This record gives sequence, C-alpha cells and structure tokens, in this order.
Amino acid sequence: MSGSAFVYVTYIRSPQQKVWDALTQPEFQKQYWFGGHQESDWKKGASWKMFMPAHGLTDSGEILESDPPNRVVIKWRNEFRPNLKEEGYSRCVMELSTEDELTKLTITHTIDKENSQFIQAVSGGWPRILSSLQSYLETGRPHGDTRSADTRNHMKD
Amino acid sequence: MSGPFVYVTYIYTTPEKVWDAITKPEFARRYWMNYNVSDWKKGSRWEHRHGDDSGKVLINGTVLEADPPRRLVMTWTRPDGSKEASRVTFDIADYSPGLVCLTVTHDRLEGDDAMAGSIAGGWPKVLSNLKSFLETGKTENIWLTKNKEG
Repeated sequence: MSGSAFVYVTYIRSPQQKVWDALTQPEFQKQYWFGGHQESDWKKGASWKMFMPAHGLTDSGEILESDPPNRVVIKWRNEFRPNLKEEGYSRCVMELSTEDELTKLTITHTIDKENSQFIQAVSGGWPRILSSLQSYLETGRPHGDTRSADTRNHMKD
Repeated sequence: MSGPFVYVTYIYTTPEKVWDAITKPEFARRYWMNYNVSDWKKGSRWEHRHGDDSGKVLINGTVLEADPPRRLVMTWTRPDGSKEASRVTFDIADYSPGLVCLTVTHDRLEGDDAMAGSIAGGWPKVLSNLKSFLETGKTENIWLTKNKEG
C-alpha cells in the first residue's frame, strides 16, 4: 500500500484500563495532552473532535471501530491548517494490551498519500504526547507547558 | 529493504543521566537488562553483553562519535560478522527546563531485514523502560514480560 505512516510503541507501568481512560476521557487528557481534550462517546460511528486551548477545534472525524479497553480506530482529519486539511482523512489505530505490569500501547497513524505533511506533523506530536502520558500515569507529573508556543502547537511541529 | 528506525522520547532527567544510563553497566543492567562496555572514545570497540552471568557478547562494534553527554554514534554488528554492520545514533538534547529529548536513530539496516525487525521491537521496550528507570527508579524485565492473553 502506498501512503505515509507513523508507528509508535510505548510500554507504560499502569493498568490497561487506566491507560484507556487516560486516552479517552477529557479530564485525564487535559492533564497530559498539553491542555487539549477530545469529545466523543467512543462508540462505533460516533463523531470525534479534538480541541486545543490556543486553537479551539483542531481535528475532527469519526470512530470507525471501538473495543474498549483494547482497540479504537479513528477517522481523523486536521481542521485548522489548510495544507493538512486538504490531505483529507487519516486513520489512527490505538491498540492496548497487557504484558505483566506494563500496558503496551501502539499508535499507528496512516494516510493514503505519499510524503504526507499531516503524518509528518503527527510524527512530531505523538512522541511528546505519549511521553507526557507515560510520565503522567507513572509519576503523576505530565510534561507542562514549559515551551508554551511550541507546546500549544504540538501537532504542528 | 529496511529504512531507518527512529524513536523519540522525552524524559524528566538530565543529559548526563541519560548518557550514564546508556554507557555505564550498573545503570544499563537495571532497564536494558543487558549492558554496554567500552571506554566510549572515538575509534574504540564497544560490546553489548547479556546481563546474565555469561556476559555473552550479543552485539559489538566501533564507536564512531562520542560527545558526552550529547551524542554517541556507533556501529552495531552481529558478533559472527554474518551481516553488514548497521549504525546507532543517540542524540541527547535539552528540550525544556528539566525535560530531555532523546532521539535514537538506527540506520544502515538495508542488508539485514531480520535485525531491522528485531530492533524495531526492542528499542521501544528499552527506551520506555529507560524513561521509567530515570523518572521513577522502577523497571521491568522487558525481555521476559508476557502478554496476558497470549
């Protein structure tokens, strides 16, 4: 298949249900997603929207598959940067599994476009978000807004 | 044909602690389970050894660049020399106050698809455990963990 892909695997010392809740519930997302949050009921066919403090609505789409707390697939399009929006919908698969004391989290974000600027942007954003998530769940201390301009634009890097 | 593997992680720590965690056996054994031995000077040999009593050399190579605590580049070779060497680069940068950005780039994998598959599975385990080690002191034996449904 031609296209662009970003894959990231991380192992977090936290129960799988807690990782799932952190990924899907706004009160947790706001703690580690640099103030951002998402709105969805996370059921198949449901709408999905992401909001960031500096931009309002940044991304939107639909839940394509949902199997809590194991797997969710999001149809995902950027809404606030014209060059990314025009690339159309991407597909983000989040997979969780339990390995002893760890939860394995795999993010696979793909789009049917070669050299996608959208995938390049999320390739910068995901490691920051998922590192912050791991710190949040393991230490209670997510990564703060310490480089505020960059951090607010985390999906634009 | 296998392209480069790149993994970025952000850790609450200092560049010196990341450097020591990679290069000093007493730290590496805590989260990598294995450990690395070298004098970490350009041109020196390095060995990646099994953390058990055997200390078996699993990987070896040559230090290509060493700029503590910022950058370490080395070849990554099967000890039996059966395939061409690949290359690993550690870049350690201050990201924001207290937060270090570690980028691991493993490239020149074109001649060894099996190694490319192996390291793509291994680096996320090692680097997630490294982050846990430096932030919490807690680690897991990452080579023994089992999927509860598997």
